[in-house]
Amino acid sequence: MASSTPDIPIPRIAATKRTTIYRDMVLIAAGFLVLIPLLAMHRVTDFMIFCIFVMSFDLLYGYMGRLSFGQMLYLGTGVYVSTLFSLHFNPNPILSLMAGVAGGAIVAGILGLIVVGLEGASFALTNLAFNQVGFFLVGSAFQRVTHGEDGISAGVEPWGFLDFANESVAFGFVLLCLLFTFFMLRILTTSPFGILIRSIKENESRVKFLGYNTFFYKWLTFVLAGAVAALAGTLYTLYIGFVSPVFIHPLNNVEVIFAALIGGAGNLFGALIGGVLFMAMKDSLSSYIPQWEWILGILLLVIVFWLRGGVTGLIKTLYLKARMAKGEAKEVKKG
Amino acid sequence: MIQTLLYGLTIGAILYFFAIGLSITFGTMQIINFAHAMVYALGVYFLITFMPLVRDFFPLATLLAIVAVVPVAYLMERFVIRRLYGESLDYAMIATYALLLIGTDVIKYVWGNTPQPVTDPIGISFQLAGIDVPVYRAVIVLMAVLVFAGLNLFFKKSIVGKIVVAALEDTEGVRCLGLNVDKYFSFVFILGSALAVLGGVLYAPISTAEPYMGHDILLIAFAVVIVGGMGNLTGTFVSAFLLGMVLAITGRYYSQAADTMVFAVMAAVLIFRRSDA
Amino acid sequence: MLNVNGINAGYGRAMVLHDVSLKLKEGETVFIVGRNGAGKTTLLRTICGLMKPSQGTITYQDENILGLAPEKLAQKGFRFVAQDKKVFSDLTVRGNIELAAYAAGESLSKAIEKVTSIYPDIQRFMDSKAGGLSGGQREILLIGRALVGDPRLFLIDEPTEGLAAIVIEDIFRILSRLKEDNVSALIVEQNLSVVSRLADRVFIMKEGKIIREISEKSKMANSTELESYL
Repeated sequence: MASSTPDIPIPRIAATKRTTIYRDMVLIAAGFLVLIPLLAMHRVTDFMIFCIFVMSFDLLYGYMGRLSFGQMLYLGTGVYVSTLFSLHFNPNPILSLMAGVAGGAIVAGILGLIVVGLEGASFALTNLAFNQVGFFLVGSAFQRVTHGEDGISAGVEPWGFLDFANESVAFGFVLLCLLFTFFMLRILTTSPFGILIRSIKENESRVKFLGYNTFFYKWLTFVLAGAVAALAGTLYTLYIGFVSPVFIHPLNNVEVIFAALIGGAGNLFGALIGGVLFMAMKDSLSSYIPQWEWILGILLLVIVFWLRGGVTGLIKTLYLKARMAKGEAKEVKKG
Repeated sequence: MIQTLLYGLTIGAILYFFAIGLSITFGTMQIINFAHAMVYALGVYFLITFMPLVRDFFPLATLLAIVAVVPVAYLMERFVIRRLYGESLDYAMIATYALLLIGTDVIKYVWGNTPQPVTDPIGISFQLAGIDVPVYRAVIVLMAVLVFAGLNLFFKKSIVGKIVVAALEDTEGVRCLGLNVDKYFSFVFILGSALAVLGGVLYAPISTAEPYMGHDILLIAFAVVIVGGMGNLTGTFVSAFLLGMVLAITGRYYSQAADTMVFAVMAAVLIFRRSDA
Repeated sequence: MLNVNGINAGYGRAMVLHDVSLKLKEGETVFIVGRNGAGKTTLLRTICGLMKPSQGTITYQDENILGLAPEKLAQKGFRFVAQDKKVFSDLTVRGNIELAAYAAGESLSKAIEKVTSIYPDIQRFMDSKAGGLSGGQREILLIGRALVGDPRLFLIDEPTEGLAAIVIEDIFRILSRLKEDNVSALIVEQNLSVVSRLADRVFIMKEGKIIREISEKSKMANSTELESYL
C-alpha cells in the first residue's frame, strides 16, 4: 500500500482512502484474470472460493490472534445449509447463498458464546471438537437429509443470467463476492473496530481496562469470520453443485492454516496470495506424488521457524532492505 | 450391560495412558501436542516390528517399543517444540501438527497403509459373576491404576516431580529459584510419550494398527484433558474413565454418536465451568 | 555492584520504562517508591531477567548480565520475590524449601534452619500445603526461600502490600535483620514508614522514569518527610 510517510513495520491503520481500496480491488481482479490463461478458468474460480475462506480464517488468526483448528465447521455449515435450502425451500441461488451465510453466522453466534472466552490451546481445541461434532452430524446423524458420505446434489437453479453452469458467469460472480469480501474486511480492519481487534490481540487486559467489553468484540469478529467462511461454502454449493462431508472434515483445517501462514497472516493480500499458492501447490503436488502431506508438514516447519511473515512478510523485508540500501522512499507497487 | 461397563473401563484406561501425557504437556508448556498421536501410532508399529524378533514375547516387545520411541520424542521436543513454546504457543501447536503430518506419512511409507492386526497375548478369560472377562482387559485396567498410583508417588515424593508440580503452577517462580524448567518439561514430555506408547501397545491387540489410529483417539483425549483440567493429574484419571464409560454406553445404543456424546459432555463442562468463573 | 543504565522496556509497543538508570552498592538497602503504574515492578522484573529491555545495559559486578535467563541470575545470587506473593501452593512448606535447597545445592536441613531463623513459627506449618498460608506467612516463606543458598542481591516487590499492620511489623523486623546481615537489596515499597526506617537510599519513580534520588538521611527521616517528595 502506498504511503507518503515511510515507516518501519508498524501497520498503517490511519486513514485509508477509499481510492486505495478501489485500487487494490482492481489489482486483485487483474491478478485473478491474469491467472486464467495460466490455470484455466474453472481452477481460478475454485482458487478464489478458497481465498475467501482463507480471509475468514485470517480475520480470526491474523487480526484477532486466535488460532482455530475448526474453521471448516463454518464452511461446511454454509455448504449444507445452502444445499438443503435449495433442495427443500427455494432453488434461487441468491436466496440459497443468503441462507448459507445466515446459517454460518447463527452457528458461529451460538458457539462463539462458548468459545470466544477461551484462549490459546483451549480455543484451538474446542473449535476442533465442535468441527468434529459438525462432521458427525452431517455425515451420520442427519444422514437421511444429507445422504451422509455419499454426498448430495444441490437444487440450485439458474436465475436470470445467474447460471453457474456457465463458467464465465460463475467466475464473475465469485470474483465479485471475493472483491466484496475484501472491500468489507479492508474497511473493517482499518476502522476503529479493526484497531480494537488488533489491540485485543496484543494486550487484551489493557483494552478491558480501558472499559471495552472485549468479549462482545471478539464474539462479533468470530461471527463475522463464520459468516465469511459460510459464504465461501455457499459458493462451493453454487459452483460445484455437488457436496459431501469433505467440506466439513476437521482434517482439512490444516489447509487453510497453511495458506494463511504461507501468504502472511494479518494481511488480506497475504490471505489471497496464500490461498492461491496453496491451491496451486496442492494441484501440482497431488498429480506427481500420491502422498504429499509430509511435504506440507516440512513446509509448515520451515514457515514456523524461518518464514513467519509468509510471502508478504518476505516481500516486505526485501523491500525494506532495498529501500534502506537506496536510502530513499519508494512507492509500493505490490503489497 | 456388564460387558459394556467393562469395555468402558478398558477404554478409559487406554484414554488415561494417552491423555496423561497430553495433560502434562498442556499444563507445563501450554500447548496442544498433536504429534502425540504420531508417537502413539509409532510405538505400536515398533511393537509389530519387534514381536518376531523377540519370539513373540509381548512384555519385552512392549519395552523395546517404548525404548525406541524415547529418542523420537526427545528429538521432537528438543529441536522443535522447545524452540517455540516459550515465545509463541500458536507456532508451537502448528509445528506439532506438522510433525504429525510428517510422522504419519513416514509410518505409511515404512509400514504401509493397510491395517495390521496384533494378536491377543493372553488369550484367556476368567469368570466374574457369571460373565466372561478377558484377562487381558482386566490387566489393562489394573495397569492404568498402577500407573496412576506410580505417577502420584512420583509427583509427590520425588524432587523432579515436585519441581514439575511447582512449575505447573508458577513457572517463573521455579526459574527464579535457579532451576532450568526446560529440562524438566522435556523429561515429563518424554514420560508422557512413553505412557502413550504403553497405552497404544496395550490397546493394539484388541484393535488393529493403522497409520491414523492416533488421530481418532487424539480428539477424544483432548476432551479428556479439557474435562479433567489441564495439568490436573487426578482430574485426567477420573475424566478418562468417565468419558470411557460415556463412549462405551453410547456405543452400545447408538454407536455412531459415541464420539459426539463425549464432545457434548466436554461442551457442557466448558459452559458450566465458565459460568462460575 | 549493580549498574542499571538507560533501560527502556515495555510490553509489545507500550513502553513502560523510559531511560531508567540506577546504581546499587554492595550492602545497601535501596527502596523504589512511586505510585501504581510507575513501572516499579517492570524494573525489578527486567533486572532479574524475566523481561528483556529493548534498550540499555545492566551490569553486575562489572559483568554484563543483560539478556541472561532468570535461572542463571538466580545462580549468581539474585533473589526475586514477586508482588503477587505466589508460593508453590500444591507443595508443602517443606516442599517449597526443598526446591530452593535443591536449586541452590544446599542441604535441606541447613535451608530449613535459615528459614526458621527468621520465622520460628513456621515449624508448625512445615507439612501443610503452602497454599493454605496467609498473605503475610507467604511473604515470609518467600523471603525465607530467598535466603537459601548464597543470596547476593534481593529484589523484593511490595513486601508489605495487602498485609495487616501487625504483620507489616513482622516483615519490617525481617528486613531489618537482612540489613544487619549486610545483604544488598532493591525493594519496591509503598509503605513509607518502612521505607524511612530502613532505606540507605530512595529512588522515586513516576511514569516510567526515575525522577528523584534521595540519599540524605534528613529527607528520609520519616514518612511525612518522604511523602513531600512524591
